[in-house]
Amino acid sequence: MSASLEKGINALKQVIDAPIASYFNSCVHCGLCADACLFYTETGDPKYTPIHKLEPLRRVYEQEYTLLGRLKKVVGLSKPVTDDELDQWQSLVYDSCTMCGRCSMVCPVGNDIVYMVRKFREGMAASGHVPDGIKGATQRTVEIGGPMGLKWPAVANVIRKAEEATGLAIPVDKEGADYLVLLSSMEIVNFPEYLEALAKIFSKAGISFTLASDAFEATNAGIQIGNSDIAKVIVSRIVDAAEKLKVKNVLSPECGHAYMAIRWEGPNLIGRPFTFNVVHVLELLDELRLKGVLKMKSTFKEPLILHDPCQIVRRGGVLQAAEPLIQQVADNYIPIVDKQKWNWCCGGGGGASAIHTDEAEALRAKVFQVKKRQIEEAGVSTMVTFCANCRIVMEEGVDHYEMDTKLLGLTELLAEHLED
Amino acid sequence: MQGPLIDTLARQGITRRTFLKYCTTLASMMALPPAAGLAMAEAMAAARRPSVIWLPFQECTGCTESITRSHSPTLEGMIFDMISLDYQETLMAAAGHQAEEALQAAMKENAGKYLLIVDGSIPLDMDGAYSCIGGRSNVEILKEAAAGAAAIVAMGSCAAFGGIPKANPNPTGAVSVSDIIKDKPIVNIPGCPPIPVVMTGVLAHYLTFGSLPELDDKGRPKAFFGETIHDRCYRRPFYDQGKFAKTFDDEGARMGWCLFELGCKGPVTYNACATVKWNGGTSWPVESGHGCLGCSEPDFWDAGGFYKALSVPADPLEFGAAAAVVGAGAGVAVSFANRAKKRAAKAAHQTTTLADLEK
Repeated sequence: MSASLEKGINALKQVIDAPIASYFNSCVHCGLCADACLFYTETGDPKYTPIHKLEPLRRVYEQEYTLLGRLKKVVGLSKPVTDDELDQWQSLVYDSCTMCGRCSMVCPVGNDIVYMVRKFREGMAASGHVPDGIKGATQRTVEIGGPMGLKWPAVANVIRKAEEATGLAIPVDKEGADYLVLLSSMEIVNFPEYLEALAKIFSKAGISFTLASDAFEATNAGIQIGNSDIAKVIVSRIVDAAEKLKVKNVLSPECGHAYMAIRWEGPNLIGRPFTFNVVHVLELLDELRLKGVLKMKSTFKEPLILHDPCQIVRRGGVLQAAEPLIQQVADNYIPIVDKQKWNWCCGGGGGASAIHTDEAEALRAKVFQVKKRQIEEAGVSTMVTFCANCRIVMEEGVDHYEMDTKLLGLTELLAEHLED
Repeated sequence: MQGPLIDTLARQGITRRTFLKYCTTLASMMALPPAAGLAMAEAMAAARRPSVIWLPFQECTGCTESITRSHSPTLEGMIFDMISLDYQETLMAAAGHQAEEALQAAMKENAGKYLLIVDGSIPLDMDGAYSCIGGRSNVEILKEAAAGAAAIVAMGSCAAFGGIPKANPNPTGAVSVSDIIKDKPIVNIPGCPPIPVVMTGVLAHYLTFGSLPELDDKGRPKAFFGETIHDRCYRRPFYDQGKFAKTFDDEGARMGWCLFELGCKGPVTYNACATVKWNGGTSWPVESGHGCLGCSEPDFWDAGGFYKALSVPADPLEFGAAAAVVGAGAGVAVSFANRAKKRAAKAAHQTTTLADLEK
């Protein structure tokens, strides 16, 4: 009950660092970032220009850290940031930014705009301007264990079913395993096949793995809401479990921002390097493919395209793994024009999919048109992705436009066609 | 001298091969595609002599000299000979009434087809009385001749921009051709005097393509006036290295360094002197050790003195050092203040819990 403007401004003052100072000074107002953002391209509304979404942060930087800005503030030329203003910006910085990072890719002066959005959210969170949807998800993650309010018994249930379906043992809390497998709630609830697929692949490759009963959830709503303190609490669960079980690797699930949270933000949040490696499931699969372990008994015949999740590919750096894997299992893979690091976001990343206001949902449906175009231009009825959140958001989009597109998870697709 | 040009050239000992080479060179100078050289040669070789009327107004005859006497005998000179120059006071044998009759006859016979060349500016004060020919003012003659011309070539800076007669205080009220004639295509070939090859280039283009070459915003053929003297100057590397002659007889002058500080107007002058050179390619002003006067630019006479440098830098080192000291001082101060502020913000941070997300 203590969020306040004062705390928000203080948080902004705290997060403004040398990169942000240089970005704001380098910005030439060219507007190229607008054309990289699906919220602008699909609506044509200039308020969705990525750099504009940071205007309050820019003003705080100018007023607090530059000579001219301080002068302007004194003589009243630069108005201080107000609570009302932050309230207005809430929809810009949460509903209409999925932190997909496409804007950072195109900036001609090299400004990492999405880096600034992440930092700006610290101030938004501290001042209490956070959408209820993400707030709820964060609350459930901290209090119950996952953003959807799942508890271990639900996971245990999925494990038991997977064991029955595959006839393989799925170890829990086993010390010294090669991989600690993490899941995202989305997978537990909507795509339980993921765990079955993994069990099959691990058994095939002869790799030991385990799940941890006190750290099964990979997602981190603290990152989405933009609060490092809460994000640290959530990520520490995984770090503690992995270190207690003395695993060599932690396997991030397909979920995009879970990978970002553990692999890239994690060590910075806890302030030291990990004692284990963080591996994305696709990286592991690609490694197994190269070793020749992934042999297919059959292939997927229908034409399909790939949706590269932003947090794994563009921002996560797992650039090359997906294509050879899909070519392994699909006869008719059609590369799209904007692929890999140039792919368009599903429209629901960065916490946006947790916001369920009417406006946010309408906007999400509108920006899905960019994906709709990609699907229609390729003329396919199957799209494969490797992020549970992308998949669910795009399924909603497909339903909204009454398309006949089928969405598949890459790991699942591979497992289905894997040699027995 | 009748018949196609190529025959006349042959009689004077110019082979077809030499002529072709010349046309190709001309085409490349005008930045036309290589094939244009051949087209040009064919068109010019077969061309019947186009009627040209040359009207000299308030001028010094330097432009005529430039073309007819600067170097002997060249293809430029000969092509110049090949046109049917029906009226040119300085060159024509006729005088008095005969000359005026020739002018009238040429205008009548070739109405709408002749090329009108003008050199010299046109005085407008006192009803144009400052310069009259055969009892008629220049402006009157120009308007009459322009009416039947296919196109007008303003030869030299006076005709193109008003030139020296227009120099402050402009006692005769001199103006350029384009100040008076608005309804005809006008090519300005400025220069005091202009380069002969520019004249033949424009003529060749006109004969070959039946149109005037592409012009810049001052009406000059882009092919010759597209770049500054400075851009194409062989002394440019010295400018880039900061090596300047300080006087006309110092070490720098002897070493052939840049003449910028001695008032060279090369950086603001568009002309082809640096590439085409003068006197049959022998030399040009900068090569002979004197800066460019900017004679092909409007109002060059009043541009502030031939020996005054275009710009003089403030003592850059002293100024720079002072600015650096002030800048560094301010930078250090701001940096300390900002660090303190950020430290304070960090100290004020209270660890956020779930409850803190609510207002």
